[in-house]
Amino acid sequence: MTALLEVRNLVKTFAVRRGFMGGDRATVHALSDVSFTVEQGEAFGLVGESGCGKSTAGRAILRLIEADSGRVLFNGENVHDADARQLRRLRRRMQIVFQDPYSSLNPRRTIGRTLGEPMRVHGLGSPREIAARVRAVLAEVGMPSDAADKYPHEFSGGQRQRIGIARALVLEPELIVADEPVSALDVSIQAQILVLLRGLQERRRLGFVFISHDLGVVRHFCRTVAVMYLGRIVEQGRVPQIFDEPLHPYTRALRAASPVPDPKARVIMTRLEGEVASALAPPRGCHFHPRCPHAMPVCRETYPPWVQVAADRGVACHLYPAPAAPT
Amino acid sequence: MATFGGALVALVAISALLAPWLSPHDPLEQNVLLRLAAPTAEFPLGNDSFGRDVLSRILWGGRVSLYVSTSAVLIAIVIGGALGILAGYIGGLFDRVVMGAMDVLLSFPTLVMGLLVVAMLGPTVGNLILAITLTAVAPFARIARAPTLTIKERDFVEAGRALGFSNLRIMVVHILPNVIDDVLVMAALWLATAIRTEASLSFIGLGVRPPTATWGGMIREGFENILDSPWLAIFPSIAILIVMLGLNMVGDGLRDTSDPRLRHE
Amino acid sequence: MNSAPALAVEALTTEFRIEGRWHAAVRDVSFAVTRNETLALVGESGCGKSITALSIMGLVPKANGRIKSGRVVLDGRDLVGLPEAQMEKVRGGAIAMIFQEPMTSLNPVLPVGFQIQETLRYHTSLAPAQARARALELLSHVKIPSAARRFGDYPHQFSGGMRQRVMIAMALACNPRILLADEPTTALDVTIQAQVLALLAELKSEYGMAMLFITHNLGVVASIADRVAVMYAGDIIEMASVDALFARPTHPYTEALLSSIPRVDRHAGDLKPIAGQVPPITSMPQGCRYADRCPLRVAQCATMPPLVALADDATHRARCWVRAGGAALQ
Repeated sequence: MTALLEVRNLVKTFAVRRGFMGGDRATVHALSDVSFTVEQGEAFGLVGESGCGKSTAGRAILRLIEADSGRVLFNGENVHDADARQLRRLRRRMQIVFQDPYSSLNPRRTIGRTLGEPMRVHGLGSPREIAARVRAVLAEVGMPSDAADKYPHEFSGGQRQRIGIARALVLEPELIVADEPVSALDVSIQAQILVLLRGLQERRRLGFVFISHDLGVVRHFCRTVAVMYLGRIVEQGRVPQIFDEPLHPYTRALRAASPVPDPKARVIMTRLEGEVASALAPPRGCHFHPRCPHAMPVCRETYPPWVQVAADRGVACHLYPAPAAPT
Repeated sequence: MATFGGALVALVAISALLAPWLSPHDPLEQNVLLRLAAPTAEFPLGNDSFGRDVLSRILWGGRVSLYVSTSAVLIAIVIGGALGILAGYIGGLFDRVVMGAMDVLLSFPTLVMGLLVVAMLGPTVGNLILAITLTAVAPFARIARAPTLTIKERDFVEAGRALGFSNLRIMVVHILPNVIDDVLVMAALWLATAIRTEASLSFIGLGVRPPTATWGGMIREGFENILDSPWLAIFPSIAILIVMLGLNMVGDGLRDTSDPRLRHE
Repeated sequence: MNSAPALAVEALTTEFRIEGRWHAAVRDVSFAVTRNETLALVGESGCGKSITALSIMGLVPKANGRIKSGRVVLDGRDLVGLPEAQMEKVRGGAIAMIFQEPMTSLNPVLPVGFQIQETLRYHTSLAPAQARARALELLSHVKIPSAARRFGDYPHQFSGGMRQRVMIAMALACNPRILLADEPTTALDVTIQAQVLALLAELKSEYGMAMLFITHNLGVVASIADRVAVMYAGDIIEMASVDALFARPTHPYTEALLSSIPRVDRHAGDLKPIAGQVPPITSMPQGCRYADRCPLRVAQCATMPPLVALADDATHRARCWVRAGGAALQ
């Protein structure tokens, strides 16, 4: 069966201007050679800290950002080669949910108009049918149907997030890119939204690219996860294994630094020295070597190749070299 | 404050609109015997150097002033607003070129622009409107561009693109309504400027030609008799003052109410 | 307790005027923090934890807020009602505060070293040269690499984690008795957060400070706190040592909160979200404010339960008729 989403060797750089009058130009390597696959109905997590490129990857998948090179195949169709008409058709099938519930809805439009607009634009039904669909999708995300006549500012953050999710569902997509969908919410609301998303995933067989910095949330929601650092995926695998037995030193550090609601777990918290290096000038060789407790000379020279250590597990680290080729 | 200003503006606007019915006399009717007469019961604001009723001329003059300034500002809003939103949304070279052109327009003081246009093209009402529009386009372009730059980064705009909306739809349906507030504030304030400009141009003789009554023209004529019959210049000046004051109050009031609402988001 | 508390808050009530009527955002809150102890004040948005910190610092917005009653005792002195001039001496001196967003607490147009120096000059009698030396010392103390070189740098030249360290250096400049930290690591990356929390813990022991740590993240609480006070809708609803709180969450809200957090160290089970929402401050119920959402609710919950100690642990207190008693239940 074709994978829902195949990302191959995605590269994206941004030119930035620094200095007083913007005279100093530099390049941000937001994505370097990013590849992963999402199966039909699978929840795939992208984790990392700020600057790792996870949000850029999410937007490049949807072609909200044009990648410099690489391929994105959605159900076998090439997203970046699509012309305007094909892209519009493709856009219906993959959608996005944003982090900030206070910026994701147009403050000047009622909820009903916001949710109905995508259907009107794509010519999907008469006004009555559209109104019925709007009510249905509002109910699906747990909002009362009289919400359609109200404005965003009349709702709380958690409710707005539900509305944002409803908007993503309205065109019946097969894939949702969720960019930190619960990070801006209170703990108890987070749980409500996660349960909602899980229910939607199961009922509609939705695939997710779930972007987050919170390992606990990713562990709960995703089946597979890829860990990103400075524009590259450093490790990828099934969720329980990645978090219980991380291979890459960065994954280990991330896992160890993630606070756990258990005082007895405090002792394990290690400290990673140093700052995240800037994506403007990623260190030569392995990007992580300046902070890595296991850095070896080769780490300073060459970027480690990707090695499949198991059927569904891969890592890019010189600690795990590729098995020697048979002579 | 704003409501008081609004009342003033409404007062002037209504009296101008209803001038044909409100004015006690024909504004063009000359009466040699009453030249430079002081205010009386029959002519409450006196008569000018041609014996015409000042009150009627003020009412009719209001029509010209309001017509010219409202037209100019409306056209400037449409053109300037569209340019500003386009420049802000498209960005890049287009933005730089458009804003460069706006900067050139902005470097002309309103009066100088008026002089140039009227001197080159002739003193018709249409050219007067053109002159004022040319100076008003640039500020409206700027005032529309600034919020466009922030709003186009907001998630709901990106959501629109992800949902397959065309750029035109995003600009008209999503960006424009969020930009309108700032534009309206500026509109009220610019109406005041436009009225002042029209009056200034008429004052220096480049406005609507006599014998049509215009406030600026009346002040000009009044100036010639300023020592003997000061009311000829004072009354039209007060009319201009009232309407500009009212518009400024309305503009300030709009600015005050729109800000906290925006912050509420 | 073997020493007098560094800070004692007694029956603090802070209210705000909304649409003409006063509503309590913090109600009858009491706690004490001793030297070398970290008390975590934890709760979700709107629970009143930040207002509590602002009340302690005397920074409640005067336009529509006021401290209605209660005492904030620091070194035997009640800070409530102190004239502003005296409060200014206390702030940054005996009480220091660090915030979530260092960019808004640091002046963007002044070099960081200078800002620390000025704090020292304001609160102590150090001469400029001595203040500068001490400021430099503080910067290296919070482990800013190449502190001497970075002394003259501006806030925007530092990363988020580094700026937070600068804030901490400023806060420690005058050897405060107590440090109020309001969500200091919420905006930081996880690995940077771990560094900053470890730094705070070290400095706390070294300076013998008391620390009031405000957060909504129970994982962070478990990492850094000695004692915990859980707030809900303006009340403290549970208070215990950190081990006791996590081992035996007593108040139904605490229990529900812990079951609704997805954990990275446990296999994904079912999350149990808490249904409903916090009541709006303008329409708080008379009795227990959590009753509407509580599965254990009984008739008596229509009156407000007192904060009482558990039968077998005097230091563990909860505000719940069902779980902690407090009077004979019907």
